[in-house]
Amino acid sequence: MTSPSPSARKGLSKIACNRLQKELVEWQVNPPAGFKHKVTDNLQRWVIEVNGAPGTLYANETYQLQVDFPEHYPMEAPQVIFLPPAPLHPHIYSNGHICLDILYDSWSPAMTVSSICISILSMLSSSTVKQRPADNDRYVKNCRNGRSPKETRWWFHDDKV
Amino acid sequence: MAEEEVAAEVEAVEAVYGEDCVVLNPFPPHLKVHIKPRTADVSSQQFVEATIGIQANSKYPDEPPIVTIVDSKGLDEQRQNHLITSIRDRAAELSSCLMLVALCEEAVEKLSSMNHPDGDCPLCLYPLLVEEEGSTSMPFMKLMSCFHCFHCECIIRWYSWLQTRKEVDHDNTAGRHEDEDNKGQCPVCRKVFLPKDIEHVLHLAGTSDFSSVENDVVDEEDILLSNSEKERRQKFEAILKLQQENSGLIEPKRHEVLLPGVYLPRPAPTPAAISDKEAKDQQSENAAENSGTTPGGSSNRPSTSKHRNFPAKKHYRGRGRNPGKNASKWTPKESGAAS
Ligand SMILES: [Zn+2]
Ligand SMILES: [Zn+2]
Repeated sequence: MTSPSPSARKGLSKIACNRLQKELVEWQVNPPAGFKHKVTDNLQRWVIEVNGAPGTLYANETYQLQVDFPEHYPMEAPQVIFLPPAPLHPHIYSNGHICLDILYDSWSPAMTVSSICISILSMLSSSTVKQRPADNDRYVKNCRNGRSPKETRWWFHDDKV
Repeated sequence: MAEEEVAAEVEAVEAVYGEDCVVLNPFPPHLKVHIKPRTADVSSQQFVEATIGIQANSKYPDEPPIVTIVDSKGLDEQRQNHLITSIRDRAAELSSCLMLVALCEEAVEKLSSMNHPDGDCPLCLYPLLVEEEGSTSMPFMKLMSCFHCFHCECIIRWYSWLQTRKEVDHDNTAGRHEDEDNKGQCPVCRKVFLPKDIEHVLHLAGTSDFSSVENDVVDEEDILLSNSEKERRQKFEAILKLQQENSGLIEPKRHEVLLPGVYLPRPAPTPAAISDKEAKDQQSENAAENSGTTPGGSSNRPSTSKHRNFPAKKHYRGRGRNPGKNASKWTPKESGAAS
């Protein structure tokens, strides 16, 4: 999953650029605990290292998030996926797609990369079992052509995890 | 102390705060008082408010009452803590005196000193108020339902984006229910607001036709080139110029501007206009607060208030607060998953 997503193909708008630069500065001053931004010269794609929180199933494990920003960020949500190998988690597919509402329907432009990271870490930390989603194979097969998770219509249903 | 004396004190609080005071229990006193800053008789100049709960036990006033913030607007966690701490400190100071009125006064005092929008615009992350000499602030506005503040330009851009999106989604060309379809949600707390809540800004900026400019995804360049956008820009710039001299708020219906805690010269409609001394006190206090804020300090980040304010949507997922709770699952919908 390293090809640019369709929504990130276009360059960033000026507004998106300004906002991301601001977020980057803020991140450098005050990074969310457990995360490390891998510095590149690409403002439109951030690669972020995630350290599993101590005392959780993912303690001492390190994963990488790839965040691609669309032209009209923050009006549109960024595309956030785990680079392989993705953590074993009931809401994370083996292709790195993450089933988290704020990345899709519940996105708000007042959210930041930092707040997304905190949500993802919270999602990891709350897991009680290391396993793939039940429909993992079918979903991943359907995504073979490199589809962005943002094109998936995520369907919520109650489930006691 | 005699029960009658305490009862008389409760009556005194009721007399001072009128409808803003709800007595849940006369003895031992349990009150809820809605506190507004002293400078806020004009609602558009009010940026904070709080409802505090004061609950005493039968040993009151030998034991101070328990004070809590039941509800608040415009206060992030840090400012809420500041408020509650100062009230509790006051309670400790006044130990074994009748203190209900004094505690409410302390709350009014603190809220008055904090009656300015706090921190950055949650959309662009740049400060709402620029305090440095020589620099100018962008016009900003406040959503009346929740007191969250945004640069006018930022919230209009986002609102227009939403409207454009809805048009694409629903493809509805006629018979729109204005209020239903044009509802917006505060980007910070998701409280619903109606078009009228921001129409004063739309009007000022001449953007009422903004949302219908494109029927596809809005492209920044196209908008910049379109005539209506040029017109909008010109109007916006005129307003900007007007505001730049004073830096500040664009308010519903009026063209006033505002400095934190200070009324600009205009006929005061109420006797509660702030005195010069108070204004100075507030300014220095504001300055002190601001100098103590590191750039990008966590207290000012929209994420901070968001953590607190997001109402738990049905499929809301915990944000680092309650890991393990609200565990819920999303799966790809069949129709979307099949390619
Ligand atoms: Zn802004
Ligand atoms: Zn709000």
